[in-house]
Amino acid sequence: MSVETLRKEGVKTLTIAVAGNPNSGKSTLINALAGTRLQVGNWPGVTVEKKEAWLSHEDWQLRLVDLPGTYSLSPYSQEELIARDFLIKERPDVVIDVVDATNLERNLYLTMQLLELGIPVVLALNIYDEAQAKGYQIDTKAMQEMLGAPVVPTVATKGQGLKELLEAALRAALKPQRPPSYGQDVEEALEGVLKKLSQERPELLAAYPSRWLALKLLEADGEVLRETGLTADFAHPAVEHLRQAHGEDIEAFMAELRYGLAAGLTREVLRKTRAAKTDLTERIDRIVLNRFLGIPIFLAAMWVVFKLTFDVSTPFVDWVDAATAGPLRRWTEAFLGLLGAPAWTVSLAVDGVIGGVGFVLVFVPVIFAMMFFITFLEGSGYMARAAFVMDRAMHSMGLHGKSFIPMLLGFGCNVPAIYATRTLESPRDKALTAVLVPLMSCGARLPVYVLFVGAFFPQSPGTVLWSLYVLGIAMAVLVGVVFKRTLFRGQAPLFIMELPPYRMPSMRSLLIHTWEKGKHFLLKAGTYILAVSVLVWFMLNMPWGVQSTKDSYLGKMGQALAPALKPLGFGTWEAASSLLTGIIAKEIVVGTMGEIYAAQAQESEEGPRPTFLEDLKELALGFAQAARDAGANVVSTVGIASLQAEEEGQEGLREAVRSTFSPLSAYAFMAFVLLYMPCVVVAIAMRHEFGTWKWFGLAFLYQTVLAWSVALIIYQGGRALGL
Amino acid sequence: MKQRLSSLRPGEAARVVGIRVAGPMRRRLMDMGVLVGEVLQIKKVAPLGDPIEVRLKNYSLSLRKKEAQAIEVEVLS
Repeated sequence: MSVETLRKEGVKTLTIAVAGNPNSGKSTLINALAGTRLQVGNWPGVTVEKKEAWLSHEDWQLRLVDLPGTYSLSPYSQEELIARDFLIKERPDVVIDVVDATNLERNLYLTMQLLELGIPVVLALNIYDEAQAKGYQIDTKAMQEMLGAPVVPTVATKGQGLKELLEAALRAALKPQRPPSYGQDVEEALEGVLKKLSQERPELLAAYPSRWLALKLLEADGEVLRETGLTADFAHPAVEHLRQAHGEDIEAFMAELRYGLAAGLTREVLRKTRAAKTDLTERIDRIVLNRFLGIPIFLAAMWVVFKLTFDVSTPFVDWVDAATAGPLRRWTEAFLGLLGAPAWTVSLAVDGVIGGVGFVLVFVPVIFAMMFFITFLEGSGYMARAAFVMDRAMHSMGLHGKSFIPMLLGFGCNVPAIYATRTLESPRDKALTAVLVPLMSCGARLPVYVLFVGAFFPQSPGTVLWSLYVLGIAMAVLVGVVFKRTLFRGQAPLFIMELPPYRMPSMRSLLIHTWEKGKHFLLKAGTYILAVSVLVWFMLNMPWGVQSTKDSYLGKMGQALAPALKPLGFGTWEAASSLLTGIIAKEIVVGTMGEIYAAQAQESEEGPRPTFLEDLKELALGFAQAARDAGANVVSTVGIASLQAEEEGQEGLREAVRSTFSPLSAYAFMAFVLLYMPCVVVAIAMRHEFGTWKWFGLAFLYQTVLAWSVALIIYQGGRALGL
Repeated sequence: MKQRLSSLRPGEAARVVGIRVAGPMRRRLMDMGVLVGEVLQIKKVAPLGDPIEVRLKNYSLSLRKKEAQAIEVEVLS
C-alpha cells in the first residue's frame, strides 16, 4: 500500500515525517502515536533503523515516517543524509519536529533547517512537564508567531498533547508556511542564486525545494554540488558580497546565523521563573563519572546488565529447548507415523525442521532480554556515560566507548552481541566491533572446555579456563590494533556526543521496541537458521542410507580436513568432523564427539510415552516454572557457572578423548574452538544486521587463520619445550 | 591569552575564538553549538583521562582531547 495508490483510489492520505534531536523523546512520541502498528525495518542499504506506521485519523490515512534522530541536516553523517534525502526526495506533506522543551536553543537549530525546506513544520514541544517542573515558562503563542509554524506542547511519556499534535499537523499540511528571514544580506544573495538557477538550470528548481537549494549552493554543500553537477563557483557572484561583509567562511556564517535565530527566539519566549539549581543529572554524574568511582560503578552496572540479560532469559531458553525436544517432537513423530510417512521424512521433520525451529526459538528470549536492557540503557541516558568512561580504553584498540557493551555481551552469547552493535552510530565502529565480538568466549564454548579441562587438567581447572578467556581478549586487542591500522584505516569516527540528562524511559516504549526487535529476529534471521539446520541434516544423513557419521558427507569432509589439522595435534577425522558441526553452534562439538566416540554405548532409554494432555500440562507448568526461575534469578546472588553441573555423565566421553588427545593437543584444540570461525547463527546475525555477508566473510577469514596459527604455536611450541 | 580547549582544567570557562580544523569535524562542532563567541565550561575529565565533558548552550557535550585540540579559546577569569 503506497501513498500514490491510495491517492489514486481517492483515499485522503498524508505523509508525516517525524524529525528531531536525539534524546528529544522522539522515539517515545512515535511509539505513543503508533503503538503496535509500528513497523521497524532498516533504511535501504544501511543499518540505520527505519520506523513507519499507518494511522487513521477521522477520514484521513496518515503515513508516519520516523527520521533518524539528528542535530542538524549537514551532509556528513549517515543519519543526517538519510533524514535530509527523505525530506527532499519524498517530500512529506508535513514534518513534526520533536523539540526538547528543556533545551530549546540547541533543538531549534534543527528547526531552522527544517523550515528552510519549504515543507510545513509543526513543533511538538516535548518533555513539557519536565520544563514546567524546572520552572520554565514558554510563551508558545509568541513562539508560534515568530516561527510561523504551529507549536503544540506534548508529554509523550504520558500521551499528553498527541491528539492536538496530529490535528495541528493535518491543518498545517494544507497550508504553506513562510520561512524565517535570514536578513537582507543573505536574502539578496539567495535571490541572486535563484535568478541564476532559473536562467541556467531551471530543471533543478523543479527537482529541489528552491530556497533550500539556493541556501545549499551558498554554503557550497558538497553533497548538493555532487548531485547537481554544479561547482562552488556557481554561487560566487552572489556570495561575494556576503564574503566581504561576513568573512570567507560562509558555512560557519550560516551556522552562526541559524544558532543566532535559535538563541534570539529562546530569549524571547522562555522565562525561567526560578534560578537554576543543581539538577538531578548533575548530582548523579558527580558520582557516576567520578574519577575514582566512575569505573567501578560502570563495571558493576555492566555486571548487572550481563547477569540480567542471561539469567532472565536462561529459564525460558531451557523451557523452549525442552518443549521442542519433548512434546513438539513427540507430536510430530506421532502425526507422521499416523500418516505412514517413511522413516527418513520423520527424521528430517524431527531432527532437521523441529530441531531447527527449536534452535531459532532458543535465541529469542536472550534477544528480547538484551534488547530490553540495551534500550533501557540508551533511554535512561547511561549509555552515553558508559561510552564516556570506557572510550579511552576502547579507543586504543580502534573502537568506540560504546563498543564495550557488545563485547561484554559476547561472553554470554555472540548473537545478541552482534545485534547490540546497533548502539554505535558510525558504520566503521559498528563493523569493527562486530568483527571482534566472536573472539569473546561465549557460553556455548564452555561445554567444550568443560569436557577437555575435566579430562586433562582436573588439578587446575580454574586457571586453564581463565587462560582461555584471557586468550580471547588478548587476541581481540591484537586484531583490533592490527585492523585499526590496516582494513579500518582512515580517520577514526568522532566522539563529539551529547551527554543527555538522565530520564526514566517509558515502559511502553521499552516493550514496543523490544517486541519489534525480537519479532524481526524471529522472522528474518529465523528463516535462514532453519534453512541451515535442514541443510546440516542432509549433510549428516546423505548419501542415502549412510549408517555411520564417518560415511556421511560431513564425515567425508572431516576426513578431508583432518590433514590440515595434523600440525596442530588433532588431525583425526573425529576431531575435524566435530569442529565442522561446531560451526552450527560451538557446544555441538561435544555432542558430535559423544556420538562418534561413544556410539556403541548409547542406549535409548525410552520410558512410557506421555499423553497429549500430559504434554500440554508439562508445557504450561514448565513455562510457569521458567517465569518463576527468571524472577528468582534476578534477586538471587548468582555464582559463576559451576563446572560440576556441566560435567555429569561425561566419564565415558572423557575416557575417549584421553585416548586420542594429549594435554598439549587438548589445549591447542580448546584454543582452536575458541578462535575459529563464528557459528552459523552469528553469521546470520551479521548478515541480518549489516545487510551484507562482507563482515562475516572477514571474520571467517581472519578467525580461521588466527585459530590455526595460535593452535600451531601452542602445539609445536609446547612440543619444542618438551611438553 | 589564546590556547586550546584541550589544555583547560575542569571548572575553567573559555570563549571560543576559532575552530582550527576543516571538514566533517568542523561542521559537527558547529552543529553542536561550538561557534566563535560561544562560552564553554569544562565540567569533567573521564576517569581514564580522556574524553572531557564540556557545558554549553544549557547542555553537556563530550569530546575527545584530540577533538578539543582543534578548538581555540580565550580563558575567562
